[in-house]
Amino acid sequence: MMQNIVPFDHDLLEKLETIASEGIKNAAVGFSGMVGRNIEVGDPRLELIPLLTIPEIVGGLEDDAVGVYLRFEGDMQGQIMMIIPYQKALELTDLLMGVENGTTQHLGSLERSALGELGNLCSSFFLNSIAKMVEASFRPSPPAVMVDMVGAILDIVVATVGGVNEHVLLVHANFMDGPRIVETDFWIIPDMKALDLLLKKKINA
Amino acid sequence: MKSPISLGLGEQAISRNPEDILVAYGLGSCLGISMIDPITRVTGLIHAVLPESTSGLDRKDPATCYKFVDTGIENLLSAMINEGANKNRIVVRMVGGANMLIAPGLTTTFDIGTRNIEKARTTFQRLNIKVAAEEVGGHIGRTVRVYVADSRVTVRVVGEKEHEI
Repeated sequence: MMQNIVPFDHDLLEKLETIASEGIKNAAVGFSGMVGRNIEVGDPRLELIPLLTIPEIVGGLEDDAVGVYLRFEGDMQGQIMMIIPYQKALELTDLLMGVENGTTQHLGSLERSALGELGNLCSSFFLNSIAKMVEASFRPSPPAVMVDMVGAILDIVVATVGGVNEHVLLVHANFMDGPRIVETDFWIIPDMKALDLLLKKKINA
Repeated sequence: MKSPISLGLGEQAISRNPEDILVAYGLGSCLGISMIDPITRVTGLIHAVLPESTSGLDRKDPATCYKFVDTGIENLLSAMINEGANKNRIVVRMVGGANMLIAPGLTTTFDIGTRNIEKARTTFQRLNIKVAAEEVGGHIGRTVRVYVADSRVTVRVVGEKEHEI
């Protein structure tokens, strides 16, 4: 029920979509520079979803997945989780490393840190775009990368917001390298104070 | 075979049907708490998210009480007694309560898993019920399955087969 979600209205969501779009595209530029190839990101889609429906979106709670998690502090606080099914994480690693599909069979420390850096870059660029619009500053924490069951990774998000902020912003983004596409989802969970700030500034996006 | 009864976040299930398997998939910091009366075979499981109920919430509201370890345990116990379980026979097993986040500066503040485990232990102590077995803590996700037919409880972690506790 949209009207139950007090701090978010449709307008704000649309504005955030524009911000996310700009932020993630900037991230792609940064990432292309890092890997020396042109990696693009399709127009990201934003949704505001009840926390408890996340498992339905990700699929099996017992399935293996990779999570990249970071928190941000400063004028606004919150957390960002990127979650990718294990098989897709292998494909994404292939794409990032510029090797043939199916090359990566296992996520060692090098592969994990590449994925961590991806999550880090996307999150930082997204945050920077917001920061510019609301004239605030944030500091993201270093990313934590984990490989485990989907449910267990989601628990991190669930446990920290549970009972307070029951909705999260979901960002779908596609990473593309030529014909190769890997879909990923991010969850952005701003705290209530962060939402207040966004609303007060009435973002001019 | 009947498909297992899967418990989402903050949910509860009770069964005495021998064909039923109660499951909580992919527990991280969440706690799966199973209670079984082996004689009447009344079998219950909750998938609790946070240690304790926040003030102002109705402690018996079925929509929210199973989200919390303390009110979840209390309400599962009374629901099971209503179904014919005997408190003195109840066998408790707990699974989950991991600390999923291993990153500098983040762990202590957000270690909900440990707080969930502590809350469960003190709640059972207060209710005078012994915890028969637990596989909790660490940094790993777990799936718990409770087999009504023979009162078995199993745990599975990533890349491994399920084992009984």
